[in-house]
Amino acid sequence: MVGQPKNERFLRQIPLIGEDGQEKLANARVLIAGAGGLGSAIVTYLAAAGVGYIRIVDEDTVEDSNLNRQILYHEQDIGTCKVEAAKKTIRALSHDVEVDAICRHIDETTVRELVRGTDLILDGMDNFAARYVLNSASLDEKIPFIHGAVNGFYGQVTMILPGITPCLRCIVPTPPTWEKNPIIGVTCGVIGCIEATEAFKYLTGTGEILKNRLLLWDGLRGEAESLQIMRYPDCIDCGSSAIEQDVRRFRV
Amino acid sequence: MKVSVKAFATFREVMDMQLVLDVPEGSTIRTLLAEITGRYGGLGELMFSAPGTLRDFVNILKNGRNVHFLAGLDTPLDDGDVIALFPPAAGG
Repeated sequence: MVGQPKNERFLRQIPLIGEDGQEKLANARVLIAGAGGLGSAIVTYLAAAGVGYIRIVDEDTVEDSNLNRQILYHEQDIGTCKVEAAKKTIRALSHDVEVDAICRHIDETTVRELVRGTDLILDGMDNFAARYVLNSASLDEKIPFIHGAVNGFYGQVTMILPGITPCLRCIVPTPPTWEKNPIIGVTCGVIGCIEATEAFKYLTGTGEILKNRLLLWDGLRGEAESLQIMRYPDCIDCGSSAIEQDVRRFRV
Repeated sequence: MKVSVKAFATFREVMDMQLVLDVPEGSTIRTLLAEITGRYGGLGELMFSAPGTLRDFVNILKNGRNVHFLAGLDTPLDDGDVIALFPPAAGG
């Protein structure tokens, strides 16, 4: 049941986060935006670790070409709604996690309702237009946002704390042209797991979160580096002038 | 003055991951990029869509701040600057 951790299941992780940390996970409510390669890794590890409530949102159906990286799904899921298939997989792993599976497009008209009532937003999107929508909603609703993205063997992650750290727009001001980038499953696994790690640290108050730092992963060379990043005071999404003028909403 | 340049992701496929350059006073991001695109064949084409116009995926941080919000290509360089060049990953 939510709020009552299964101590036997979590025996090996409680030394790391404590009973109170486990309780915090059980009481946590997270939004996973996107049930693709990143979302697959994120939701699997959050559910396995005992996060109590997971809202997962995606409008797509499972395709054969997803199965090289989207480890939530199996061949028999092809053609079914991703979030429903995801819910089935998560329920098979744990009945204690409450899964809210929402088959919906994320845009400026739907995002408010989707983020409200959650403590944390995790990025599993495949384009910057949707990420900017989540970024704005995170700022407006003051819900932390863990950004992650992948391209081939490369990826990046940062933790956005509204009003404290740089927002996504401070780091990437203009959307890179969207293309069907090559993606290999292991990179989704690495970046999704780093996002999930940040979520655990944030939710349980453990370690140091990736705030004010952008972690860049290079799987081809087996290297990771985190760059210090800074807020832009006049950022159109999080800057003080933007807030005064209230012009930042959902700009893409 | 000395400036460090760090390259990430696909930029590493055409240039070194990290280099330290001695640049004259008055240098800018534009003159720095002219210097390094001269050193590495293919980098100019990768970064610029036309002379003086960066492709939309080219992000340049000067000590952690995106030069898009500073003076763009005309952002002046200072001794000890760390310049990071990265094309953000966008997939999921």
